[in-house]
Amino acid sequence: MSRMATRQWMITHEWMVKPMHQREWIERRGIMIWIAETFTSLGAGLYLVSLFVGSWWGLLAGWVIIVFIKLPIHIAYFGKPWRFYQTMPPWSNAWKTSWFARGILFSVFFSMLGFVQLVFGQPDFVNLVGANICNPIYYTFGVLAGLNALGVGIYGGFIMNYVKGIPFWNQGLLPVLIMLAGVADGFGLIMAVGLAGGDASVIWAETGSRYLLLINVLLITTYMISAGYSSETAKLSIKELVAGPSAFMFWGGLILLGLIVPAGISIFGLIEGGEAATPLLITAIAAHTIGAFALKYCILRAGIYRPLLPKISAF
Amino acid sequence: MRWGMVINLAKCTRCHACIAACRIEHFLPLGMTWPRLIAWETDIPGEELSTIPVRCNQCKEAPCVEVCPAEATKKREDGIVYVDNDKCVGCRYCIIACPYQNRTFFSKDKDPGYFPGSERTRFEKAGHKLYEHQAGTTEKCDFCLERIDAGMAKGLVPGKDREATPACVNTCQARALTFGDLDDPNSEVSKLIKDKNGFQLHPEYGTEPSVYYIDYKLGNAPSNVAPREEQTASHLQHLSTMEARAKQIFGKK
Repeated sequence: MSRMATRQWMITHEWMVKPMHQREWIERRGIMIWIAETFTSLGAGLYLVSLFVGSWWGLLAGWVIIVFIKLPIHIAYFGKPWRFYQTMPPWSNAWKTSWFARGILFSVFFSMLGFVQLVFGQPDFVNLVGANICNPIYYTFGVLAGLNALGVGIYGGFIMNYVKGIPFWNQGLLPVLIMLAGVADGFGLIMAVGLAGGDASVIWAETGSRYLLLINVLLITTYMISAGYSSETAKLSIKELVAGPSAFMFWGGLILLGLIVPAGISIFGLIEGGEAATPLLITAIAAHTIGAFALKYCILRAGIYRPLLPKISAF
Repeated sequence: MRWGMVINLAKCTRCHACIAACRIEHFLPLGMTWPRLIAWETDIPGEELSTIPVRCNQCKEAPCVEVCPAEATKKREDGIVYVDNDKCVGCRYCIIACPYQNRTFFSKDKDPGYFPGSERTRFEKAGHKLYEHQAGTTEKCDFCLERIDAGMAKGLVPGKDREATPACVNTCQARALTFGDLDDPNSEVSKLIKDKNGFQLHPEYGTEPSVYYIDYKLGNAPSNVAPREEQTASHLQHLSTMEARAKQIFGKK
């Protein structure tokens, strides 16, 4: 038997015999899910932070990221992208049980409500129509779009959290981790809006970023420890991240660039008595964004299924 | 009524006939597999290799049904979970959510033809007309629901009458597969599960699979011990011819 034929024979037999990685959402076309999920966090986080600080340019950037980057990439991943509409009412009522369907609905509602909010918040439009007409609409749609942005930012966590076969994902903290990481990314990007001359305060963004980074360090540590207690397979996932094939992305991308570098620059700025120098801020923003990609990569890559067989169900 | 299957591991001869039967019944493309026969290594001296046939468990609380955003995966009243390929959007969340990993995404590269580079065979051409597999959608075992429906329409009983029984069950020469109604306490499957302490894969997930296993090793139940005389001759013959070869290929850790 040739080597190739032996290998093919073995692949069939080895299926789910040992802890097995999920591949659909990280390998080959699955890379699109990684990218889409990252932009989901970036866009939703930026929108929420912009709502909080009242930055129209931030809102616009967050909305553009969700509508023109996240959604198209996500839909392009589908095997039948043109059937996209079939995931929504009246064609499907799956939103009652499926977080995927809910996520699509959140995204669509966010796109529409956010658009209205952006139009009624646009300074030239407000001058033209009048603040007394625009402001109520702007704030009403702001609340509605904000709620949907929250849904967009958190649904990915619930999607993964639901998967019982992957103990590393099946943790209650995952949606919170993903949501707060998204908000931290939002603080990173709002700094970029401020630096680009937008209507956002860089010092305020730096302060927010500092707190969120601290919270995220605690969350990631708690998540890893609690997941490690849940099962042997989850321990394997952690080993994969800490000392396995994904260690470079975990330590280099998530911990160093995503957490240490932005936190270091932020603390440096604090010591200097204001905001850090522009090149340092640009470095922090870039590191933040790379960290966002690294976090999603690590979560998706560490998705390992428990084996099928009772004999080794210790996993 | 809830259709279910009992797989007697003590009788399974690892002949792969169930997989071949499914492939023929549904004209499965080369890269597509609905049931699988998986193998694993044990630390029991002399029994370093063991196998187990797996297929969609047709779960009572199926995660794939709950997560499907297009309601393309549905559960019938008789418990069979199937995919409506005309509705499936190909998001693959069902594949991710299935804790048993018994679903496959069908992409064009999974259908290179049985003889890549050559013209498709008459069997393949017929298959494309009779049982179209839609690229970009997800597929899985559906207990041969067409056979069940057609058979029942004729007044036949699935599990008893071959015409109304899944192809893999019909073809199993060792009679390791038994099909029937789990809700009927007098059905053969219910009796086997009760008498032989049938077990499901990962019942702790709460999915309530409709596929049960009975075995004298895995079940850890004394009543499951299969006396040697109950094992089929082909089983013993198969083990004697395959064990050495399998050890050679898989090796020992």
